[in-house]
Amino acid sequence: MNALLLMAPALLLLLAVFVWPLLDYAWLSLQAQSVFTGLEAVPVGPLNWQRLAADGRFWQDAWQTLRFALVSVGLELLAGLAIALLLHQRWRGRGVVRSLALLPWALPTTVMALGWRWIFNDPYGPINGLLQSLGLASVPFLAAPELAWLATVVADVWKTTPFVALLLLAGLQMIPHDLYEAFALEGGTPWQGLWRITLPLLRPYVFIAALFRLAQALGVFDLIAVLTGGGPASSTESLAVYAYLNAMRFLDFGYSATVMLGMFLLLLLGAAALLVWRRQAEVRA
Amino acid sequence: MSRRLAAIAQGLALALALALVIGLLSRAWARPAAVVRVLMPAPFADATADLVAAFNRSHRDVRIAVTRGPFETEAVSDLAISSLLLGDSPYDLLLMDVTWTAKYAAAGWLEPLDAWLGPEALAPLVDGARAGNRIDGRLYRLPLVADMGLLYWRTDLMDAPPRTPGDLAAISRRLQEQGKVRWGYVWQGRQYEGLSCVFVELVSGFGGQWGPGEPGFGLASPAAARAAGWLQQLVHEGISPRAVANFAEPEALQSFEAGEAAFLRNWPYAWQELQRPGSAVAGRVGVTTMVAEPGVSPAATQGSWGFSLLRGSPHPDAAVAVLRALTGEASQRQLVSRYGYTPTLQTLFNDPELVAQRPQLPQLRRALDQAVLRPLNPGYAQLSDILQRQLSALISGRGDAAAAMARAGRESDLLLRASGQELSPRPQEVGA
Repeated sequence: MNALLLMAPALLLLLAVFVWPLLDYAWLSLQAQSVFTGLEAVPVGPLNWQRLAADGRFWQDAWQTLRFALVSVGLELLAGLAIALLLHQRWRGRGVVRSLALLPWALPTTVMALGWRWIFNDPYGPINGLLQSLGLASVPFLAAPELAWLATVVADVWKTTPFVALLLLAGLQMIPHDLYEAFALEGGTPWQGLWRITLPLLRPYVFIAALFRLAQALGVFDLIAVLTGGGPASSTESLAVYAYLNAMRFLDFGYSATVMLGMFLLLLLGAAALLVWRRQAEVRA
Repeated sequence: MSRRLAAIAQGLALALALALVIGLLSRAWARPAAVVRVLMPAPFADATADLVAAFNRSHRDVRIAVTRGPFETEAVSDLAISSLLLGDSPYDLLLMDVTWTAKYAAAGWLEPLDAWLGPEALAPLVDGARAGNRIDGRLYRLPLVADMGLLYWRTDLMDAPPRTPGDLAAISRRLQEQGKVRWGYVWQGRQYEGLSCVFVELVSGFGGQWGPGEPGFGLASPAAARAAGWLQQLVHEGISPRAVANFAEPEALQSFEAGEAAFLRNWPYAWQELQRPGSAVAGRVGVTTMVAEPGVSPAATQGSWGFSLLRGSPHPDAAVAVLRALTGEASQRQLVSRYGYTPTLQTLFNDPELVAQRPQLPQLRRALDQAVLRPLNPGYAQLSDILQRQLSALISGRGDAAAAMARAGRESDLLLRASGQELSPRPQEVGA
């Protein structure tokens, strides 16, 4: 009883900011509320959900969002780990480099997305300038559907790798140094140390970093909106961009809520699968 | 002595009473001024700053407070919509793009202006500024400036501009082969509203029409397929760069301004940019209407910004007075002569003083007489999105034009049917 009382403020807060909006969305997804109904809510049953199931664009965007999130977070973990290992070593000028490495993370996403739009510009951007000075043809990075999504990944990796590096660096500093000394006394090489000590002990931090970043990347909006606007041919459109279009441009709030909830359910499924997989991995270990 | 004191006391009392009366009266006269709050995109807030200051100096009872919105059209819409959704709008007047009117009116956010402006409000305007302000017989918007799609061409590379799509492609190819320009034609191919603007005038030039009354909202037609196919072909043949698939207005302008292209599709604002000292084509640019197939009259996509009165404004009379002043002749004259905007009032196009200053005005007038409106439909944003998606795929090299337009037509029909709108021809509101 006492425990429940102590937890009440936190529970109430969760109810207010999480459960209540979710219920509100669930209700909205069963209404037609759009510019065609004069913004009045008209109950239509599961019509929005039927539309969602048959909406090729929703599933295309779901796939594109997942692809963006997995590839960019994967690359960020690799690059972040390398940078964290480097910044963990003692060397002159490390402090300066540590602060510099954080710079991309500190930039507002819209600003850096505008910057990347310029970098990828065909033919005036610096990358194409370099290619042309080497006698190569310029590449339409943002105008070709098969390249544009990679461009969004590159921009995202550049921006958020420092965040991953920071988390992993904190993790590295938690590993006691005597472990390495003992390992060296037993004749272990630094390379073996990386695989036997560092990586296993870093695992919880990698997991946290991946969780944070996946949650963010699956909801990606501002980077896409500024860099490509979802184009060309909607090849870079994410679910968040699609939900935004439905709500703010098309004034179709019923369907926008359905898209958001559909995205939430997909995320829930993904998270559940991840947890089950982790549980089984722990049981096996 | 006491008598004198009494007299002084009497005098004081009288003076006090007088002061009280005067004070009360003056208070009644100088009622607090009604503050009319106006949201405008940044460029318009800057261009009208002098006009607003002058208005505030000469009016005691009304004061204009301008909110300087973002630069980008859609960002202004997002800002306005976010505040409108919360209920009471923090603005009285909103400067709106022509494509928003139907949506905002259907959402119930606008107050009709007929009661104040009467049935003849649009009479002094040129044709190309009249359309798109009335929805279902009610006037919801009064335009401030006109805007329309134009074809810019290089006067040093050819004697006369092309009139047909075939001409444009042929001249481009010749100039490219001669090495005079890198690209033939640059335009707006990014997946955004600008792509719909490129398409709507072109499909008219191919003898079609984007709008109700035809199968697939006019997209499931041979004309739509030919127009879309022509755009696809331009990129495929290298007349337009592949990068055009990510070009908005600034990118296209930049390429043409650097002397890289023979033709540019843009709005009237580009004229001034192209004549700037840094421009490689200054003094070598002509302006005309978009190409059209032989026997079909050319068309210009109608843009334009105009003021709407938001429902729930606490002092609509004052707001309409401001709307009148800002769209009036004196105001438009200043916007044209100082900032190069295009007027909406017929009289200003023939004004000798303005024409001497802006020699392109008669040409702009001709283009405005051939203006075509994007569909006036509450679901316009979504209809446009459907079209952009298919066009963008074509331009970036995917698919077949006829099939893509047929698909866009099916999706448009589906949307309209789902929204309860009839697919059969519906009288469109055009003109006053």
